[in-house]
Amino acid sequence: MTAPLLGALGLMLSLIVPKALAQAHWPARVPAAAVVLWQCVTLASVLCAVGVVLAAPEETLRALGSGRVVAAWVLLGTLAVAAAIVSRLLLSLLEVTRRSRVRRDRHRLLVDLLDRAEYHGELDRSLDPGAPRIDPGTLRILDGALPFAYCLPGRSPRVVLSGGTLKVLAPEQVNAVLTHEQAHLRSRHDLVMESFSALYRALPAPLRRRTALDAVHLLLEMLADDAARRRSGAGPLREALTTLGGAADALIADTGLAADAEADAAGRDSEAERRDRLERLRPGAPGFSVPLQLSAYALAVSVLVLPTVVLVVPWLAQALPTWPL
Amino acid sequence: MSGLGELERDVMTQLWDAAEPLTVRQVHERLTPERDLAYTTVMTVLDRLAKKGVVSQQRSDRAYRYLAVQTREEMTAALMLDALGAAPDGAARDAALVHFVGQVGPADAAALRAALEAAARNS
Repeated sequence: MTAPLLGALGLMLSLIVPKALAQAHWPARVPAAAVVLWQCVTLASVLCAVGVVLAAPEETLRALGSGRVVAAWVLLGTLAVAAAIVSRLLLSLLEVTRRSRVRRDRHRLLVDLLDRAEYHGELDRSLDPGAPRIDPGTLRILDGALPFAYCLPGRSPRVVLSGGTLKVLAPEQVNAVLTHEQAHLRSRHDLVMESFSALYRALPAPLRRRTALDAVHLLLEMLADDAARRRSGAGPLREALTTLGGAADALIADTGLAADAEADAAGRDSEAERRDRLERLRPGAPGFSVPLQLSAYALAVSVLVLPTVVLVVPWLAQALPTWPL
Repeated sequence: MSGLGELERDVMTQLWDAAEPLTVRQVHERLTPERDLAYTTVMTVLDRLAKKGVVSQQRSDRAYRYLAVQTREEMTAALMLDALGAAPDGAARDAALVHFVGQVGPADAAALRAALEAAARNS
């Protein structure tokens, strides 16, 4: 019964649980624990799939009572399939990492060349003398009226702002944005996103779901928001989010050219994401809670440990004595 | 910014601001009023920029002349297209870049390009 149970659990962890988790409101209150829970749920669903591949043929053969030679061949086959699944995941991770690195290297070269040295002094003077400064070696300010801010993670990270951002944001709002970006870089949120992207790309297209990818992305933004809120307060961060969020959309709308359906959907997604982030920064919004945090961590650990103890260990105890190789 | 990175940036700025392709000597002359630089350093930097594909070399009367492959505005527009996720491969949210807020996603690249060019003209 191990394989059907693992299969049912795997389906639950990859279809039902992500949907429920993505719709729940409590993860926004404890984003760090929620990210760990997403990682554990996702890892557990992968382990369930591998478990089914290993256990199903063995259990079928044991039920049929087939001979030793057949059992040996079937075992070799199952091991090969399991190895293929695991190596596909690892290859996908390598590919995602490589692509990100290539794109970032090229992008970094360009932002380094386009950096406007004269804006740096301007920004420096506008900030309070006591305000913490971002490392000038990582900050790049580009020409352009379009307000935007982003970061380039990796071993040689950059935080990029446009001249337009400095025009539309007040100094304390700029500071909130910079703290937000630095939180991404310091906590290496890119590595978390890359692992989820890798799994997404490793799955066959009909099985792909953006649920986990989008939910984790939002939670990482919230984590960086929390870092910015601790330093600059919620007010400036909220204002920066409102101002910068509308800028790109407005610019595209101004051209009068319709974006395609996919872009429309992406725009709605980012709109919803911004709403969720603003909602938890509003005064009086339900905030961090230690019991909630502990429950989320406990849930994360049990999702990984319980199936192993309840299902996999008893199966191994039965299967190993009849190991045919 | 490291010394070399800063120098690369300043050399590019000279090439962008010049009306015509420049020789190593001309770039050297334009940079030296502000700082003490060896001629060979400027040569090395131009060589590196050429290897990175952002500068091209022209041979004319026994001297190499250098020019930027793209104008500053073109390069900025290309960079922003990449940054906003409108890259041709539709690299949606692949974690290469992390935006402060709402990436446009695999938006209609034509609309975005038009918007950026308009923005570049007005700025």
